Amino acid sequence: MLEAQRLEEQPELAVEARNLTKRFGKFIAVDHINLEIRRGENFGLLGPNGAGKTTTIRMITGVIKPSEGYVKVFGIDVARERKKVLKYIGYMPQKFSLYEDLTVEENIRLYGRLQGLTGSLLKERVKELLERFYLWEFRRRLAGKLSGGMKQRLALATALVHDPALLILDEPTAGVDPPLRRKFWEHFRELNREGKTILVTTHYMDEAENCDRLALMNRGRIIAEGTPREIKRKALGGDLVEIVFEGDLDPAALPGVKSVLEDSSERYLLVVEDAGRDLPRIVKRAEELGAKILVASPVHVSLEEAFIRFMGESE
Amino acid sequence: MIELEEGIRKGLRIIPIVDKEIRQLVRDPKTILMVLLMPITVTILFGYGYGGKGAGKYPITVVDLDGGDGAFKFIQELRNSKMFEIKAIYKSKGQGFSSVYSGKVYASLIIPETFTEDLMRGRPTRVELYYDASNPTVAQMIMQAVGVVTQQFQEWAASQFGTFAITPMFYTVYGPKIKKIESFIPTLMAMILQMVPTSLISVSICREREKGTFEQFIMTPVSVFDIIFGKLTAYFFATISDAILSLFTAILLFDVKLKGTFLDMTIVSTVFLLNSLSLGLLISVFSRNQLQAYQASIFSFIIFMLFSGVLIPVDVLSSEAKLIASFVPMYYFVTAFRNVSLKGWSYLMVLDQLTVISMFTFAFLALSLRFLRMEVT
Ligand SMILES: Nc1ncnc2c1ncn2[C@@H]1O[C@H](COP(=O)(O)OP(=O)(O)OP(=O)(O)O)[C@@H](O)[C@H]1O
Ligand SMILES: [Mg+2]
Repeated sequence: MLEAQRLEEQPELAVEARNLTKRFGKFIAVDHINLEIRRGENFGLLGPNGAGKTTTIRMITGVIKPSEGYVKVFGIDVARERKKVLKYIGYMPQKFSLYEDLTVEENIRLYGRLQGLTGSLLKERVKELLERFYLWEFRRRLAGKLSGGMKQRLALATALVHDPALLILDEPTAGVDPPLRRKFWEHFRELNREGKTILVTTHYMDEAENCDRLALMNRGRIIAEGTPREIKRKALGGDLVEIVFEGDLDPAALPGVKSVLEDSSERYLLVVEDAGRDLPRIVKRAEELGAKILVASPVHVSLEEAFIRFMGESE
Repeated sequence: MIELEEGIRKGLRIIPIVDKEIRQLVRDPKTILMVLLMPITVTILFGYGYGGKGAGKYPITVVDLDGGDGAFKFIQELRNSKMFEIKAIYKSKGQGFSSVYSGKVYASLIIPETFTEDLMRGRPTRVELYYDASNPTVAQMIMQAVGVVTQQFQEWAASQFGTFAITPMFYTVYGPKIKKIESFIPTLMAMILQMVPTSLISVSICREREKGTFEQFIMTPVSVFDIIFGKLTAYFFATISDAILSLFTAILLFDVKLKGTFLDMTIVSTVFLLNSLSLGLLISVFSRNQLQAYQASIFSFIIFMLFSGVLIPVDVLSSEAKLIASFVPMYYFVTAFRNVSLKGWSYLMVLDQLTVISMFTFAFLALSLRFLRMEVT
């Protein structure tokens, strides 16, 4: 294992983007976005196809130049001092980008050498990664002959060869079966625990729930940002609770209720500011008013629903 | 600021790139096809097309206007010299000329009416050689050979009849190209050293862009310099065999006798090979995809063929065309390689040409370094 960077001297933000913009001719793929990714967190970038996720990531890794704005990685301006920044970034592009005519081991070795590893350090690192990502028995196979899941494992192993402090993963689990997806996310957690920062994009909402913070992109803009919980709250304007009761009651008048989403005679879906605080108050008040509460529980909102709402709003 | 601990080496990254490129080249069936089969095939085609039977001898015709014993004896002498293959003996000058014009032979030797009589009387006389000047190298060799035969014949005649002098007279005729395999070696080498390396390396960078591997590649601290020189080195090793293979094929299969030393020919070839590779790299830097790169290599190859003197001698081109030729590295290579391989010059005697070629190489590399973008598009 390589020695980690001297962490205490690192700035607070792993990635800082300001007014980041990319135009392709007249088309604006990324439109003045601001991003702050804190050190050590797992940050998810979500959005429909063509939202501008890959374009944003490419500006962060510096493989394309922003039309406007800037990106700093650990405080270093990517456009100006790209060389300096490269050793801190491990990047896994959306499309498999390793050499299909080289073997698994040759690919990892090559990238290790290009990153400057030599001798026994290189050898150990390659072996370690091959084992860690279950690639050891396929090490002599040409990368082009691997299955989709194995390719993704190889790409991740290669991205990690120089032990980067920031991992940028563009749809790492696309085309990966569910058990392996779970394994990937376990790896990500582990890497986070090691102190690494992760920026990941995905189309799987269940995966996104695992992120510390998320940003939702649509048409080149960030339309929502925050923890998964915050995002759900923002989408609805609060938490969702369900109550079923007998008696005469105006649910809208109950404490903390911001709106009534569903009203199907005696079963109500309510949006409240904070489910934990408001539910007991609702029950208490309803009983004071002479109604009999049969059910009163928080309703799980999926990220998917939250996103669909946000997308609807932003259209 | 973050500092990496020991263990991460700074500096050049050329060696891993060379290693990678060579592995990829070896695994690509195209490489085998282009680097090994193509030179051999082209050489063999040329060999049969232009060498063929009577290799080592120059086909000529003789016009015997004299018809006497002296002429008969002279023709014997030509045959004995083993330098000529006499295709026909005519009775009129017209037939002799047309055999050169039509490209059947390199030259026609004319023995005048009074040849035998002049000999017997000890009077000075002459033979006339009408040679195809479109190939200066062959022409020169034929003239030399005729000179030698005439000299020997005169010595014999002097001892017999006290003949005063026999002067060979040379006249130029422009015929179509017909060449012996030897004189075609520079052309062959120019073609192989231009086409194979340039087209092979011309796809090397844009293929990475097309396949997407460039995006990962430029996430490492490789520099433009590493990429250009890493690829150049790898492809140089892969294609140097090209030159050697062609030479050996020609030598072994067609019994080609070159005057140049192996070292001199290799030095000149290497200088030109580096040029071809640099041009290919430049094409690769500017091409969007592999197809474009191939097209650009073939296009430049055609231009080079037209203006390097291998098809039409540069001397007979218009002044505009001559100007173009002066910007064609292949032109300098053909000139240099002709002198080295056919005349046996040392590479030191063609340093002028080598310098010009290297200046082109330098320019191609400088442009490649300048315009290679470490970005995806
Ligand atoms: N090089 C380019 N030239 C022109 N347009 C481009 C280029 N790259 C991306 N785009 C456009 O920019 C928009 C954003 O693309 P991008 O790849 O960033 O989306 P994405 O969010 O990553 O989508 P996906 O989920 O499908 O990967 C798309 O409309 C795309 O067509
Ligand atoms: Mg994408």
